[in-house]
Amino acid sequence: MDWLERYREIVPDFEDFKAAQQRRLLPSARINLLKAERSRAMEHLEEEGVKGRPFKWYSLGLGLDSESPGKLRTNLLGYIHLQEELSMVPPLVLDPKPGETVLDLCASPGSKTTQISQMMENRGLVVANEPSLSRIAPLRSNCERLGVLNVAITRYDGRRFPRGPFDRVLVDAPCSSEGRARRDPKALSRCSLRRSLGLQTLQIGLLKNALRLARTGGVVVYSTCTYAPEENEMVVEAALNQSRLERISIPGLRECPGITKWNGCELNEELHRAARYYPHFNDTGGFFVARLIKN
Amino acid sequence: MWLERFGIPDSAFDGYRFYRKAQSVWVVSDVTLPALSYEALGMRMMDLKGRVWKPTTCALQIFGRFAAKNVVPLDDDQASIFLAGGTQKIESATEAGYAVVFYRGGVLGCGLYSSGRLISQVPKELRSGCTNGDET
Repeated sequence: MDWLERYREIVPDFEDFKAAQQRRLLPSARINLLKAERSRAMEHLEEEGVKGRPFKWYSLGLGLDSESPGKLRTNLLGYIHLQEELSMVPPLVLDPKPGETVLDLCASPGSKTTQISQMMENRGLVVANEPSLSRIAPLRSNCERLGVLNVAITRYDGRRFPRGPFDRVLVDAPCSSEGRARRDPKALSRCSLRRSLGLQTLQIGLLKNALRLARTGGVVVYSTCTYAPEENEMVVEAALNQSRLERISIPGLRECPGITKWNGCELNEELHRAARYYPHFNDTGGFFVARLIKN
Repeated sequence: MWLERFGIPDSAFDGYRFYRKAQSVWVVSDVTLPALSYEALGMRMMDLKGRVWKPTTCALQIFGRFAAKNVVPLDDDQASIFLAGGTQKIESATEAGYAVVFYRGGVLGCGLYSSGRLISQVPKELRSGCTNGDET
């Protein structure tokens, strides 16, 4: 069964969308300003014979023409960090400021955590929560390599993270990862409605707790790398009695609005303010982001 | 200690505070911490186990840029050997002990200087030749 067929009615230019799944995705990286200025990091890459092509929408993001970017000295020294292009979006939407207190509820391996730290200029506090013991080590190791000083790591079930308040909370939720198919073709074979609904329960629990933990007026960003409305709009909808959605727009990156109708059901009108990113529009993977403000 | 050995002024640590846990010293942003149970707080910056305290590579990579003494700059070939975890002959006015190793203006990490030789203290996982998987 072609799993993606279920999205024919909601994805514009659906045939292009399907064709894009087969196209190889180049490695990408984020320049880590905590360790090096942008020009220095670019020079370092050039010295290693690698061209970094900056993204139109984010000058710290680069497409890399390298076979094994993980081995690059520029990476080992923490001047850059290998990270999916679209996964650089949620921290920008969260927009943390130096001196604030921020919670990253599902932090490992720490790509977004460390991006948040950098945006906060290593000041204030980022609590990076990861429930799984085996995933704590990569989170710690990335924080060390990238020179992060404002992160504290906790290991709670995100649905029961005990207390805040936090100025901002990021919920980059576990999901069915359909948007990663260009990187991992097997991702789609593991998808099913049952799986999505199981994840939905977890995701709603995480988002509701995130809203509880944010201060009044605080920002909560919910993101996934999947297309399933069961894991996206329907999760956010469950949180709209305590919050309102703000529209997301990133110049240079083409987003589609969140959907308000699925499988014959009408969803909350406000959901059109969420953003869906598709591989055939930006030559990336797939992503969903929503920015909520706590009432 | 960082001032004494490397000439790094106290002001380099403004806004951060230190704490000791077992045989290590850690550095973290100087903010009020929420009452939570923590796995790790900030970055480990010193190892107190040996006869002489040792700075960690990751802390030197951040604070070492302010160092004024016991610094060893390396050229391309020397940097390669250092990053691979090797030992090499280096001419330097550095006193015996730990040194901040620079390459093209950036800190590579910690070296141990002894009798005209620089012994790399780069931890295994950061040595060139190790892979880092693709991450999201």
